[in-house]
Amino acid sequence: MLPYLLVSGLTTGSLYALVAMGLVVVYKATTVVNFAHGELFMIGGFLAYTFHVLLKLGYVVSLVLAVAAALVLGLVTERLAYRPLMRAPAISVVLAAVGFSFVLKGAARQIWGGLGDYMPFPPVVATPAITLGGLILVPQQLVVLAGALICMGLFTAFFTSTRTGKMMQATAENAKAARLVGIRVDRVYAFTWGVGAATAAAAAVLMAPLTFVYPDVGSPLLVKAFAAAVLGGFGSLPGAVLGGFSIGLIENLAGGYINTSFTDISAFLVIMLVLIVRPTGFFGPRAVRRI
Amino acid sequence: MRALAGRRNVLALAGLVLLVLPALANPYILYVANMALIYVILAVGLNVLLGYAGQFAFANAALFGIGAYATGLLQVRLGLSFWIAFPAAVVVTTLIGLVVALPALRLSGLYLALVTLAFAQLTQWLMLNWERVTFGAGGFKVPPLTFGPLPAALGLYYLSLVLAGLLVGGAWNTVRSGIGRALVAVRDSEVAAEALAIDLARYKAIAFSISALYAGVAGGLYSAILSFVAPEGFDLFQMVVQFSMVVVGGLGSVWGSVLGAGLLVTLQEALRAFKGGQEIAFGLVLMVCIVFLPDGIISLVKRRARGWEEPLRAPDRRA
Amino acid sequence: MRTAQIVLMIVITLLIASAAPPAAAQGTPGVTADEIKIGALGALTGPGYLYGRLIMNGAEVVYNEVNKTGGVNGRKITLVREDDRCDAASAIAAAKKLIFQHQVFMLHGGGCSNASIAARPEIEKANIPWVVFASVADDVTLPTAPYIFSTALAASIESAAQLEFALQQGAKKVAVISMRDAWGRSRYNPLMETFKRKGVTPVADEEMSPDANDATPQVLRLRQANPDAVLIVLYPKAAAVYMRDAAKLGFKPMQIGQTALGDLLVFRDQVAIPNALDKFYTISHVRYTPEDPEMERWRGLLEKYFPTDRMSVYNIMGIASASVVVEVLKRAGRDLTRDRLRDELNKLKDFNTNIYPGVITCTLTDHQCHKTPAFMLLTGDKVKTVGVTTVTR
Repeated sequence: MLPYLLVSGLTTGSLYALVAMGLVVVYKATTVVNFAHGELFMIGGFLAYTFHVLLKLGYVVSLVLAVAAALVLGLVTERLAYRPLMRAPAISVVLAAVGFSFVLKGAARQIWGGLGDYMPFPPVVATPAITLGGLILVPQQLVVLAGALICMGLFTAFFTSTRTGKMMQATAENAKAARLVGIRVDRVYAFTWGVGAATAAAAAVLMAPLTFVYPDVGSPLLVKAFAAAVLGGFGSLPGAVLGGFSIGLIENLAGGYINTSFTDISAFLVIMLVLIVRPTGFFGPRAVRRI
Repeated sequence: MRALAGRRNVLALAGLVLLVLPALANPYILYVANMALIYVILAVGLNVLLGYAGQFAFANAALFGIGAYATGLLQVRLGLSFWIAFPAAVVVTTLIGLVVALPALRLSGLYLALVTLAFAQLTQWLMLNWERVTFGAGGFKVPPLTFGPLPAALGLYYLSLVLAGLLVGGAWNTVRSGIGRALVAVRDSEVAAEALAIDLARYKAIAFSISALYAGVAGGLYSAILSFVAPEGFDLFQMVVQFSMVVVGGLGSVWGSVLGAGLLVTLQEALRAFKGGQEIAFGLVLMVCIVFLPDGIISLVKRRARGWEEPLRAPDRRA
Repeated sequence: MRTAQIVLMIVITLLIASAAPPAAAQGTPGVTADEIKIGALGALTGPGYLYGRLIMNGAEVVYNEVNKTGGVNGRKITLVREDDRCDAASAIAAAKKLIFQHQVFMLHGGGCSNASIAARPEIEKANIPWVVFASVADDVTLPTAPYIFSTALAASIESAAQLEFALQQGAKKVAVISMRDAWGRSRYNPLMETFKRKGVTPVADEEMSPDANDATPQVLRLRQANPDAVLIVLYPKAAAVYMRDAAKLGFKPMQIGQTALGDLLVFRDQVAIPNALDKFYTISHVRYTPEDPEMERWRGLLEKYFPTDRMSVYNIMGIASASVVVEVLKRAGRDLTRDRLRDELNKLKDFNTNIYPGVITCTLTDHQCHKTPAFMLLTGDKVKTVGVTTVTR
């Protein structure tokens, strides 16, 4: 039983990790949590479905198109829900993003909802299950795990090696100073939102064969990804990944060993305990009071 | 014109309309008005926590649910009458609100949001799974209220009106008192507040208790108006609606919350005309309100009419 | 004009607009010389829209076709939809709006069970006929109310049928996997009662969340109990995840679904593992799936009126239910009143819609008019009916 639970825990965990990374990327640069992130994931999935299944384009083409479209959508979100509200209290940005998420969800329901309750998505590799010493693995799970790890690697490389990545890091640390050295901060913000959305879409396309595509997939996922990010100490990409995997594992282990009705709530119970002991999550900065 | 739209006149007019509404309106309108009153109570309470004390907590919808469940369960499981169950439920909800305040003392910002979110999820989970007590996902029916010779809908409407009036008045007084000033101090700078000998723990606890109390009252009324209690009405979507009422009305403004609650309830009904497109319409309205009126609709009123000034500012903009 | 006044005026206008009473109806509400207004109550937004909007679309196709041939006894049918958002408060508001503001003649709707249960007292008080098209919870139609009838299979009927079928097929050890939301509960509770009545205890009782994308813990625990049959009380998405993980882990007992999994061909594509549905039996509300040639005409009409819809079992449920409504409206005659409609419903016996597996019969004491689930099995590419039972509640 344990090996199976571990494998599915890691698979679900990589989904949470991928989505959480997108949240953290935006937060690091703009100190705002994008509450439309779940719906950006959902739209990415539907777009990929439209390109790949309805229009019969190739898998990679659909992936690229969906991610590109999501990037644009991320830019739009930034323009509508963030830029006009840069000076407003945090809750206003949250609610504007939530409002946008309703628009996206309603639009998806109107456009694709009539097709049925959820759309299946064909897996990347159609090979049958692999047996690995008594453990049965569905290839798609490996694809997802690999995808998550590749994304993490790409992100790390991006932030540390490329010029744009360093600009984003600088803006996240101190926007005023970044402006002073000539960084176009507003462009960095816009690009960050685009990248966050693109990550969500990539996650959706990778995971669609396992999660399916339907208009309401965004909200529960956002809650879990948010929890994962906070657990990791919001603002740390490795933390988000660790948080995501933790939640996936906890859910599966609790469901398998205690009771399946505990699956959804176990992660939250653990988080509450962790936050009481370590109020800023795994890798969060030690609480610093700005006077 | 400024004088005409002054606070006294508007309140008098509103009060009059609300008082005689049952005689003018069909049962549907009366129901919507009653709902609006319940949400006014909820929003005003939440604003004390969110707008005045600056605590970004996601627990209010769950506390609303606890108020409703407690009122209903005390009647159904223990056979108590509504008039005993209701106050008891309000007390229970307030106490639970105090318990939720405990982590708030150590946490802030996102971490507080997450812990209160976890509390909300836990409450939903209990409502769904602790069937021996809560009847589970199917909910349960609550015996309909009787008000003696008065028809139930009418009696409940006037009860809601009286309670809303009392609680809004209570909030108005509280925020103008020392408590209100202390809460704003906590919101704007915890360090400065402590330097002024304001006990952070005490005032945060007060803020959480007030919002919990209001949520409990609103919850009890909600269970009565539906004669039915089920987990759906107390989830995260509910929380978003409540936040929207407070922000669209005006953070840090009692009258803003009254306005926001009334408007959003009316809006949700008016948007029915869009049928399947309601979600889109609601999202658009929310975005437009927040982007173009970041200080809430009450800021419009404050600018143009006399008598609406409130002694404490809304939260500062971010630098 | 000052902005505050403009804002106030907009608000007041909105209020008045949504309160404006329609032209006063003489005599029976919702009926004029050339129109019958039917109120449709169900979820138009939110995840429950499958049991609201999609079913209403099917019903509207029937009404449009009837209108094309002159309507019912010279009156055209207008369907007025209101969103109950799958929650109690909105359902009561929607019901009140339909009854008191739109002043419809009758109600045809009811998707999410909790919403329907909450709205029921209001509807009962108004003495307005209500034909339920999807809500399965028994509390919607019990205790029997004079004007409330159902063309949906009741949860207790389906659950009892599931267990009886399993036992009939020779299963000795039976397990259950269910969702514990309101829909799941409304089936799970009667199922447990049927177990008790038959003196059988489930060997495993697992739970799944509607949004889960992994059922490994559930399958592992079920496998440990080694049942001959598993009764599935899950929505399509969760069921597909479950069947996929069961196939992956080599768990292949007899699996028995219910009407939520009524479209076997679509389900097979969703599970997407060959031979996963070999021992999967399910119940359907309706005799046909969207791919059957008998549904060709309806599919064409549906896609004409609702171009973004692709015909699903939900649409077919609406078509079948609306056929019943049209029939009783016709029988009630030109002199149409709510009481006459109620009487026609009470007299409805052995009405064959050619879509439901069995006939529709309502009596004065039993308003659960649909009692015949059909069991289906997928063999190759064809869905075969393997049995039709009639279950009395």
